[in-house]
Amino acid sequence: MKGFFNAVRLALRAIARAKLRAALTVLGILIGVAAVVIVVALGTGTRDIITGKFATLGANIIFIFPQSTQSSGAKQGTQNRMTEADGEAIAKEALSISAVVPWNVAGGQVVFSDKNWPTQIMGTTRGYWDVRGFTFAKGQSWTESDEQLKSKVCVIGEAVHEALFGTQDAVGQYVRIGHYPYRIVGVLAKKGNSPFGEDQDDRLLMPIGSFRARVLPMPPGRVMTLMASASSELTADRAVQQITDILRQRHHMQGEEDSDFVVRNPLELRRSAEKLANGLTAFLIVVAAISLLVGGVGVMNIMLVSVTERTREIGIRMAIGATETDIMVQFLVEAVTLCMFGGLAGTVLGLGFIAAVNVVADLKMAVPVPAIIAAVGTSAVIGVLFGFLPARRAALMDPIDALRNE
Amino acid sequence: MVAASTEAASAVSPDDIMFLDGITKDYVTEAVTVHALRRVDITIKRGEFVAMVGQSGSGKSTMMNIIGCLDRPTEGRYLLDGIDVTHRSNDARAVVRNRLIGFVFQGFNLLPRTTALENVELPLVYRGVSAGERAKRALEALESVGLADRLHHTPNQLSGGQQQRVAIARALVTEPPLLLADEPTGNLDTRTSYEVLGLLQELNRKNKITIVLVTHEPDIAACASRVINMRDGRVRSDTYNEAPVDAHQALADLPPVEE
Ligand SMILES: Nc1ncnc2c1ncn2[C@@H]1O[C@H](COP(=O)(O)OP(=O)(O)OP(=O)(O)O)[C@@H](O)[C@H]1O
Ligand SMILES: [Mg+2]
Repeated sequence: MKGFFNAVRLALRAIARAKLRAALTVLGILIGVAAVVIVVALGTGTRDIITGKFATLGANIIFIFPQSTQSSGAKQGTQNRMTEADGEAIAKEALSISAVVPWNVAGGQVVFSDKNWPTQIMGTTRGYWDVRGFTFAKGQSWTESDEQLKSKVCVIGEAVHEALFGTQDAVGQYVRIGHYPYRIVGVLAKKGNSPFGEDQDDRLLMPIGSFRARVLPMPPGRVMTLMASASSELTADRAVQQITDILRQRHHMQGEEDSDFVVRNPLELRRSAEKLANGLTAFLIVVAAISLLVGGVGVMNIMLVSVTERTREIGIRMAIGATETDIMVQFLVEAVTLCMFGGLAGTVLGLGFIAAVNVVADLKMAVPVPAIIAAVGTSAVIGVLFGFLPARRAALMDPIDALRNE
Repeated sequence: MVAASTEAASAVSPDDIMFLDGITKDYVTEAVTVHALRRVDITIKRGEFVAMVGQSGSGKSTMMNIIGCLDRPTEGRYLLDGIDVTHRSNDARAVVRNRLIGFVFQGFNLLPRTTALENVELPLVYRGVSAGERAKRALEALESVGLADRLHHTPNQLSGGQQQRVAIARALVTEPPLLLADEPTGNLDTRTSYEVLGLLQELNRKNKITIVLVTHEPDIAACASRVINMRDGRVRSDTYNEAPVDAHQALADLPPVEE
């Protein structure tokens, strides 16, 4: 241990003697480490953004859309046959599903006094808030009896509130859609864009019965979309299978016959987006690793020069009683110290870059601690690997030849 | 080890610091083989002050390198302090050099850009002595060569004589039984040579350190108690000097320097 500290002291001194050269030598390592730190931070940041965006859709949400089919001899594609009853059956029978809500939509104008706002008008049930992860900024949901009575009530999104009411309180006010006035019972909390770019705050919702009765007439029970919540991320794939089985049975689909619906699991999309981000990160890390490797070769090169230049010193040390191991350790430690300097400087550079990007692009990229440890650790390993050859050359010098060296 | 010592027992007495038995050194180069040493037998007792003389190329340095465990003989046996060191590993020989031998070279061979104190501490570093103890002993050694006021000077801030005294302090700091000096005064003027030599004589007398010194100058050789004369890799003559010249006295007898 004592010998090790001596070696570190010696190494620091040797490096201090040729600062510029040391700095140039470790440039490759520095860039490599900085690249690793930056790439990992960017990669993790991107993944966090993707995950965050998908989270706004609602936890473990699954969408079920009707789909027209051309099969089984039907002249034209089959009609949309999806109903609220399908949703109830799924909610009851699919073990991995915790909730299902129906959802219909139509574009429309919302009018309040002299203001007029075009938005998406949706009909659904109260389960929607949990399934999609909406919370209320003001007021609350409509009631069960509103649903039964097809009352003229609605809940508006933050964008609609902003457009029609500004800073005014909207709860209790009436807006007009078509011929009918609707009482606003609640305002949703702001959510931002979905991963598909849709503004999730620009909407007006009402009980699905009210929607069918007054906004977009449809046969009773008919729905455009069912939204289901899987009980957890782990059971999402199973839930998709269960939904498919239940609906195919309910719709009397045979063997190979195409389903008249599609089940979409955004988790899959999220996974492929994440996979892409991970793949890109991995590729850039490989590039950074190559830079580290090149940096290592640079260190080896300079260490070889250094060993040659210090041949006489090595001879003197040997004559005085330094063993091969002593000399070996001296130069290995020097190489490792050099690389560690590069690694630390690279870390500082990388962190500076992350901080700058966070400020400029208003991001919250985290400091990738494991990546920093790995990168600095790797530079130490590179020091050992690429320092080995020069150190060995020094250690195996013949003391007489070394002493005779001018 | 045991076999070596029993075998050696007949020839080697504990009084002998070194015992060279049929030492041969051949340098094989592309063109020719140089026989630098040809079956040399030398025994040196503890406390001797030996001067090795001889014309250039006679094998003195080769001899010193072998004695100093820096080089191995092509043939022959070499016992240092009773230990057969010829076939020891490089690391073992490094330890032997550190423990038993102090070197003084013609070119001083101090580490550049390193202070006198640190240069003198160096052998102790490789012995694993603690920093505090190292500094203390290095200071003592530098004091004993009269350089207590030059502790933090680097070699290029010291005169030749001072550098050589630092080198001597470095050789002494481990208190080795044997000090080897290959032309230690080769780069020094007469006065400084006598100063350095006086120092060596003192060490030899007071600390009972055995000294083997290579020199070209008869005046220097005259200060030794034994003179080995080499020629063509052989010992040509080996004589004892009953009344070696006292270097301090010789220095005093020199004509005063003209200002
Ligand atoms: N590494 C070597 N390779 C080949 N020949 C060598 C080598 N070292 C020494 N020699 C030869 O061995 C012989 C003895 O050399 P050595 O250096 O021992 O002489 P020396 O007595 O010290 O001479 P000097 O008084 O000039 O220092 C010389 O002929 C020299 O050329
Ligand atoms: Mg010589």
